[in-house]
Amino acid sequence: MSILAASSTTATFVAPHVEFGKLSPMLIAFGTATLGILVEAFAPRKQRYGIQVGLALVGIAASFAAVLALAGTTASVVAQGSVAVDGTTLFLQGTILVISFVAFLVIAERKTDQNQDAFAAQGASVPGSAAERETTRRGWQTTEVYPLLMFSVGGMLLFPAANDLLTMFVALEALSLPLYLVCGLARHRRLLSQEAALKYFLLGAFSSAFFLYGAAMLYGYAGSVNLAVIAQHVAHPTAGSTLLYTGVALLGMGLLFKVGAAPFHMWTPDVYQGAPTPVTGFMAAATKIAAFGALVRVLDVGLGVNSAENVWRPVMQAVAIITMIVGGVLALTQRDIKRMLAYSAILNAGYLLIGVTSTTAQARAAVLFYLPVYGVAIIGAFAVVTLVRDAGGEATDLSRWAGLGRRAPIPAALLAVFLLAFAGIPFTSIFIGKFAIFQAALAAGSPDLVIVAVLASALAAFFYLRVVVVMFFSDPLPQGPTIAHPSIAVKTALAVAAFATVALGVAPSLLLHLANNSAGILAK
Amino acid sequence: MTPSYAPVAATGTFALTAWVILLPLAGAAILLIGGRRTNRWGHLLGCAAAIGSFVLGAVLFFALLAKPGAQRSYDQHVYTWIPVPGFTADVGFHLDQLSIVFVLLITGVGSLIHIYSVAYMEHDENRRKFFCYLNLFLAAMLVLVLADNYLLLYAGWEGVGLASYLLIGFWQHKPSAAVAAKKAFIVNRVGDVGLSIAVMLMYTTFGSFAFGPVLNGASSAKVGTMTAIGLLLLLGACGKSAQFPLQSWLLDAMEGPTPVSALIHAATMVTAGVYLIVRSNAIFDVSPNARLVVTIIGAITLMFGAIIGCAKDDIKKALAGSTMSQIGYMILAAGLGPIGYVFAIMHLITHGFFKAGLFLGAGSVMHGMNDDVNMRHYGALRKFMPWTYVTFGLGYLAIIGVPPFSGYWSKDKIIEAAFAQGGTSGWILGCAALLGALVTAFYMTRVVLMTFFGQKRWVPDAEGHEPHPHESPWIMVVPMVVLAVGSVAAGFLFSYHNAFVNWLSPVTGFSEGHSPINTAVLQVVTLVVVALGIGYAYLGYGLQQAPSTPPLGSFATRAARQDLYGDAFNELVFMRGGQYLTRVLVYFDMKGVDGVVNGVSAGLGGSSGRLRKLQSGFVRSYALSMFGGATLLIVALLLVRG
Amino acid sequence: MSHGYLSPTGLEIAFVLIGLVTLGSGLLVVTVKNLVHAALWLLVCMGSIAVEYLLLTAELLAWIQVLIYAGAIIVLFLFGLMLTRAPIGPTEELNVRHRWPALIVGLGAAGTLVTVIVQAYQHTWFDPRGAVPLGSGEALGTQLFKYWVLPFEVLSVLLLAALVGAIVLSRRGRDTEEAEA
Repeated sequence: MSILAASSTTATFVAPHVEFGKLSPMLIAFGTATLGILVEAFAPRKQRYGIQVGLALVGIAASFAAVLALAGTTASVVAQGSVAVDGTTLFLQGTILVISFVAFLVIAERKTDQNQDAFAAQGASVPGSAAERETTRRGWQTTEVYPLLMFSVGGMLLFPAANDLLTMFVALEALSLPLYLVCGLARHRRLLSQEAALKYFLLGAFSSAFFLYGAAMLYGYAGSVNLAVIAQHVAHPTAGSTLLYTGVALLGMGLLFKVGAAPFHMWTPDVYQGAPTPVTGFMAAATKIAAFGALVRVLDVGLGVNSAENVWRPVMQAVAIITMIVGGVLALTQRDIKRMLAYSAILNAGYLLIGVTSTTAQARAAVLFYLPVYGVAIIGAFAVVTLVRDAGGEATDLSRWAGLGRRAPIPAALLAVFLLAFAGIPFTSIFIGKFAIFQAALAAGSPDLVIVAVLASALAAFFYLRVVVVMFFSDPLPQGPTIAHPSIAVKTALAVAAFATVALGVAPSLLLHLANNSAGILAK
Repeated sequence: MTPSYAPVAATGTFALTAWVILLPLAGAAILLIGGRRTNRWGHLLGCAAAIGSFVLGAVLFFALLAKPGAQRSYDQHVYTWIPVPGFTADVGFHLDQLSIVFVLLITGVGSLIHIYSVAYMEHDENRRKFFCYLNLFLAAMLVLVLADNYLLLYAGWEGVGLASYLLIGFWQHKPSAAVAAKKAFIVNRVGDVGLSIAVMLMYTTFGSFAFGPVLNGASSAKVGTMTAIGLLLLLGACGKSAQFPLQSWLLDAMEGPTPVSALIHAATMVTAGVYLIVRSNAIFDVSPNARLVVTIIGAITLMFGAIIGCAKDDIKKALAGSTMSQIGYMILAAGLGPIGYVFAIMHLITHGFFKAGLFLGAGSVMHGMNDDVNMRHYGALRKFMPWTYVTFGLGYLAIIGVPPFSGYWSKDKIIEAAFAQGGTSGWILGCAALLGALVTAFYMTRVVLMTFFGQKRWVPDAEGHEPHPHESPWIMVVPMVVLAVGSVAAGFLFSYHNAFVNWLSPVTGFSEGHSPINTAVLQVVTLVVVALGIGYAYLGYGLQQAPSTPPLGSFATRAARQDLYGDAFNELVFMRGGQYLTRVLVYFDMKGVDGVVNGVSAGLGGSSGRLRKLQSGFVRSYALSMFGGATLLIVALLLVRG
Repeated sequence: MSHGYLSPTGLEIAFVLIGLVTLGSGLLVVTVKNLVHAALWLLVCMGSIAVEYLLLTAELLAWIQVLIYAGAIIVLFLFGLMLTRAPIGPTEELNVRHRWPALIVGLGAAGTLVTVIVQAYQHTWFDPRGAVPLGSGEALGTQLFKYWVLPFEVLSVLLLAALVGAIVLSRRGRDTEEAEA
């Protein structure tokens, strides 16, 4: 109400003060995307691919430079209370940008598939039709995906920084909408891809509606969508809390959908399987980081008061347990590597939720550490999947991967590194991440969660190692898939991912310290 | 004299400790990343890394030598691996009399074998990869022996396992090599589980992985816990050191290239179990029961390996059986406590010399015989390979314990110490050790006679090439000569003025054993026993020709040829058990998981066919579940609110 | 100054009456058997909501309501009916199956909304004769461009992305059609 009252007395309009410096990472990302659209409009068709990829990479790098420049500045709320720029924001933005850079290297790959990227030349043409053959022959490409994905990156940068529910909602849509579109543009197995895109869009819109409904209820409760104002009302309640918790539940559902927690996870396997694999990697890593950032901000800033924590903690713990069980058990029976990785993503969301439900600074640091190491590894894993190809695109069925270790030792070994990391083998980054989260949960007094998590990890080790066994201990198929030779960009991405996975397992203290120092959230 | 663990921070020369490991690690990394580009000079880089590491080790050794006995313990903290609140794990190295001995053995024998391999692997197109793995092995093994805490030790432990796996399966085109690698990997897992549980138990008991708190705190901890930790450590040692009942993989591991057998599966890695037990002496000192089990395992294995060694016609497998048996001696000595620790390590070092020498000799023989390993196809080789014959012969004299060769000094001490254990167990262990010496003399004489004496029994290889035995190139001979010198002289040097005992006792502790039999008498008895073994073998293989095809043999021979049914045992216990477990898992997979899914589906009402589609299908059912989930969230939050 | 509900002003009476019209037309939308009639009743429903906005001095919102909902959306509905050749006359089987669940969901949603709004604003008094009307274009503009400028701008970016996306999804180049021909 305060904002409403304030505005009504303003006679003349005073232009708002916008801290462009603090907002520069997101502004650069959105600006790059808009520039990309201009490139689409004016650049000759043949040069678009090169310009778009270059532009996107430069934009991400510039945005990252902006994040670095902001690092160490005092935390503040900017843009009239819409955005909080604090340690957590900058850490997550930096992470998202690094992950996006690696992901774009994989997305832009053309060498693995007859000099074409993973996207259909024209989304609307019938798969296999003469028109499609013609466009393919002419080498047309949907280069719009690069600006679209840059829009998504911009949304991801804003999502964990949003300090009010309205901004958060807009950011959510900005990050999701381009992904819905790009999911449906797979060059191969288009119907599966379009089905996935439609499912993702419908369910995403459904969950957004819940989010919005929840935000409306919280507005009803506190008279503001600003998280800090909501926190004040939670701390000093003036009305019953039914509205508050109903709103929190609906809002939480919207966020849990994005992180892929059960029972809001069902889109994950279908979408991960159907989407073009490089995009799947990008989604699995970057969306998850942004969504967890937003979840943590809502819970810590809006509902960080003890009385509220005592309410949402047990519920979120239950969600974490269900998520781990669903992810772990259902992954066991998967025969498709992309679906298997999707369930693994659900399982990992469960681990992260453990970190979220433990509200200590230690747990926050653990979550911040886990997000980048998991993100890098999952991008690497999906990048390896893009290399194993059949006539009809990627060979994602596990039975086709038999004996891959003998036919293509390097990709197989790289995937083994990522899978062993997911399985939590010591001296890999995710082992440290899991360890930090479990330790924080134990310190916060939730041994039950840790027990479930350890059991789920044991279960998970089974299906991760099964892939390793299939690759290295089975005889190669007589007509096995071919192994594409990737360009230097994908090689770089894979090398970076593998190096980070191992190096952060052997010497994690640098990132752990960074996460520790960044874990503070601006609560005002 | 009771040892105490009180290292000081490593400065000056001692700060070089980490570089001992970094050199081979860097070598492995360069060869791995460099790929084919390093093919031309990769082997040289590998050798340089190993030799450089040895030189550093020697520098450290002399630096330690310059310090008084009590000040030869240094800790180098490198960095904190996991700095999570409430749990820290460090990476740091510990240099003392025990670890430097291992460093010298590993890098010394390692360097020789690197050099030998340059020629041995010359015609292998993957020679660069081979050196990469060898360097990786050196680095991991050095981490194992230099670690200043059990967690890092465990990391090195897994690292050598990995290197061993890669090297056994190096010739992947041979299915038998791939199978052997897999077998070694799996059997080792059993032992590794034991070690990992032991390490966890240490952390819960002492609140730290570091040697300091664990070893200094052992004497005041509960004896039951110490026994448990001791037995779990022993399980780990059994896996890595091929001790009963986890011995079976070692014979198959001979599928790897011969230099690998010499370095990893004779001189160094397989002795890691002995290092583990001796390093953890404070734990075993507290628990007599654990020590008793250790001695029993050692005694069983030393007989087991010796008997297998008698029956094998494959020269490398005969030597592998012998390795098993000799490590049995070491484990037995380690189990005897302060009267045995020093001799376990001393035998380990002398064994490192003569067994590596014997393996390199075997490799040299194979090199000349078209890679045939069957001793029944050898004979009369002494005239064709004089250097190999002499060096192999010196190693042979050392292993059977003929004075003054090195095996005599170390093995004799173990037999004495076993008797000195006292009581019935002392007699049993002592007699087992004596009997082992007899069998050792028998099978080693058999190997030498079948290989170098008698008449030619050469047969053409599969492609019909007649063997043309010839002496190996000098680059292979030189390492053999160096090792032969060690086999001759090491034992005497170690025993001169009790040098070795004085060197190690600050770490391991030492108390003089008192044998119930007069020492001189025991030595004579031992020599008589050895002579008996030689004589019996001469009767069987010297006076009469060994047939080219093995005779059927008695039940005992057949059993020994079957590795005393070690594989059958494994198959019964581990493989069948594993298969049943897998079957149960698959059953659960098929029935359990699907059943649960179907059951839940059916429970929601309607035919399972329709609801199976809910599982993999429609947006509306997904939306319904989301709606249900949201409702549950609301209800849960409102209920918790109270 | 105390505010009571017992002596209603003319404005309040008008508000309630228009509200009844909204409710009634809304009910008719879901009960009539003729699709076109339902769409037209929806027009009435939307329009009366716009009138309610006007009564609350929210003139900008009222015009937006007329332009977008009453104008664009209803016209879209009617075009949709025309283009898909849906039956114009009365249709007997129109949406009978899910009547009860729909009723429950509708009532539930309405109940929640009413609770939310009543609880949120039960202590707020609104004076339609105030100096700067709350719902005026000026007030709304100040809000939007002062306090919500960032989300507003991001929304425009979002719309741009949606626009580009729609083109990407539906584009079939002229050259392609030539190729097909």
